[in-house]
Amino acid sequence: MLKYLNIRVATFILSMVMIVLIVACSVENEPTVNSDNFNRKTMLTNWADNIIIPAYENYTDEISGLVKAKNDFIESRTIENLESLKSAWLNAYIAWQSVSMFEIGKAEQLSLRDFTNVFPASKEDIEANIASGTYDLSLPSSRDQQGFPALDYLLHGSAESQAMITARFDSEVNMRNYLSEIVDRLSSLSIAVLQDWSAGYRDEFISKDGSTASSSVNKLVNDYMFYYERALRAGKIGIPAGVFSNTPLSDRVEAFYRKDVSKTLFMASLNATIDFFNGQFFDGSDQGASLQSYLNFLNSVTQGTDVSSLINDQFTRTLTQAESLSENFYSEVENNNEKMLETYDELQSNTILLKVDMFQALNIQVDYVDADGD
Amino acid sequence: MKQLLMTAMIGLILISCSDDENPSPRIDAPDTYTFERNGSSTVAFNGQTNRIMMAEELVDAMLDFSITKERLLEMYRNETASGDDASPFDDAGLNAASQNIKSKVAASTDYFAANTSESSQIKADFEFWISAQVEEVFPNQNTVASPGTPGQLADGSSIRYVNARGLVLNQVVAKSLLGALMADQMLNNYLSADVLDAGNKRQDNDNELLEDGENYTTMEHYWDEGYGYLYGTSLDKKNPNSTIGQDDSFLNDYTGTVNNDNDFTGIADEIFNAFKLGRAAIIARSYDVRDEQAKIIRDRVSKVIAIRAVAYLQQAKVALPDDRNNTTAYGTAFQLLSEGYGFVYSLRFTRMPDSDQPYFTKAEVDSMLSSLLEDGPNGLWDVKNSTLDSISESIAARFDFTVAQAGS
Repeated sequence: MLKYLNIRVATFILSMVMIVLIVACSVENEPTVNSDNFNRKTMLTNWADNIIIPAYENYTDEISGLVKAKNDFIESRTIENLESLKSAWLNAYIAWQSVSMFEIGKAEQLSLRDFTNVFPASKEDIEANIASGTYDLSLPSSRDQQGFPALDYLLHGSAESQAMITARFDSEVNMRNYLSEIVDRLSSLSIAVLQDWSAGYRDEFISKDGSTASSSVNKLVNDYMFYYERALRAGKIGIPAGVFSNTPLSDRVEAFYRKDVSKTLFMASLNATIDFFNGQFFDGSDQGASLQSYLNFLNSVTQGTDVSSLINDQFTRTLTQAESLSENFYSEVENNNEKMLETYDELQSNTILLKVDMFQALNIQVDYVDADGD
Repeated sequence: MKQLLMTAMIGLILISCSDDENPSPRIDAPDTYTFERNGSSTVAFNGQTNRIMMAEELVDAMLDFSITKERLLEMYRNETASGDDASPFDDAGLNAASQNIKSKVAASTDYFAANTSESSQIKADFEFWISAQVEEVFPNQNTVASPGTPGQLADGSSIRYVNARGLVLNQVVAKSLLGALMADQMLNNYLSADVLDAGNKRQDNDNELLEDGENYTTMEHYWDEGYGYLYGTSLDKKNPNSTIGQDDSFLNDYTGTVNNDNDFTGIADEIFNAFKLGRAAIIARSYDVRDEQAKIIRDRVSKVIAIRAVAYLQQAKVALPDDRNNTTAYGTAFQLLSEGYGFVYSLRFTRMPDSDQPYFTKAEVDSMLSSLLEDGPNGLWDVKNSTLDSISESIAARFDFTVAQAGS
């Protein structure tokens, strides 16, 4: 007991000494930004009204176009209607890239991103679902059997040619049912999220304008970072390029079955993350309060490094590098992977600027873990 | 240059210290774990390699939803329920092997030779978890887990399967075996002076009396068997640190993980060097040097277990959803908490270097495990950050690292 007490006392004294040291250090070295006077409410309002909600409105519009094209195709199973359906799929998939990063509120509760765009789709499981006609799309384990990647498979990969794909849909009622269910599920999920924003979540989002871990700014900045790091940097480029494996994995590209739109989807995503950083309105008409203006505001106080310019310069380098990629990431990984890796490196440079420099400047803690995945 | 000078100076100080205080003969350890007699190797630890591989198959099979409880239990015992020969493994070599997992769980001489009641409780814990996986989790493969209901949860791109209280049982089994099998056999059996010297073993080693038909003395072989529980599946078993962390899912894996943390860099070399020097000391009949190396290994391997226990509990705090009512968002936290649960369970098998006791008694470990599951009626679904912090603090308090160092 005595020994235990001594350890406790020693630990206490040590902690006090450390606290004194830490306090002393921070007073001398860096001004704290806990109580900065930046108006977070204005930024949240800009995010909600000029970026997030318009992006979801656009996305649900495109999704309703997809539902209509699907219904037309099921009604009349022609190659022309298949082509219209494919083009509606692509438009909705592009629109998705502008909302995917906002995994907050209803989207977070529903795991919207996981049920919309986990790729690669599991061809085997999708075919098994079609054959049996029994499946539960609400299960986490069915994430790779639905959403845009599953549609990619059905519309571009389920048979060798457009004619044969059309013929399959024509002869297999289970396939038509599956197509219908996954399109309708995309639709109901997207509508649920938009309705929640309209039905009160917008006000709640804006009202949480503090700087705690559960405030809207801290949460959405984390969601944005998570998206940038995992979905954009790793998912769209790093994983297929083989950054996280011993060999490149060309079958992990986004839109693997369609192939010639990976870059379009990637650029839509990259531009959306850049626009969000700069507070660019979804309709492009103007800019409002943003991470960029927040960083500039803090910088005008501290006279420190101009983090927002460093980040925007790096975004520009990333865009330039990405422009050199061809549309078809599958063939790029197979034949020209060096360019994929160079793009990854540019994305990675901004991961550090965003996740370390920006998070430090804004005094936000990272709220997700780098799980070891075992 | 400055750094080099500093290193040289520290080196000088260390050397002068050890010269002054330790007049024992100088023993040269080889660069790699290579020991020979008459031109052929004296090192063997196939049994340890087999048990690690059996444990790998068992843990993987716990996620094969078509497997029976009987077969999983046969993997644990490598025999049927009635004690007949069984062939439960996919790897035919393992079926033919004489080893099994169960008989070496909580089976070290130092801790359990005269404590068979606790040993049998611990052995039964594993059978309980294995059975619960088949009886409670498997039927709910296609159910979304929620408080009180077993089933599946998303964790990034992975799917985790949990019991009603949120435990990922395959992880609990894996991380608990790491202590109850690997660490216990190594630290409390094969590195134990009582085991190494038992009977005439010291005299036999002095006289280089080899085991029948083998090229090693019993003492040499015991030391190697301890080595095998960490490096038994290493790519290069003589020079294992080039792939440390990648060669199994148990002690090797987490020694590598801890070594990759800047706060603990070098720990893998310290453990390997102690194994090498201890083995060279056995050949040189320098038993004090041998026992000093055993102390180093006990200290460092115990620390690996404690650091990972704290690390998982701390990471889980970050991974628990902000909105504790969002039941779909617990997958990552439960995976981490279940790994942490197993590492806490493993603390009972650690060994204080200058003592015959673990860092935490069974009663202390049981109390930490209960507190993890008893913040509310539904186990991990209800666990509080304050509980994770208080367990982390009480673990770190007995070691020379902080919660912050382990958690980063």
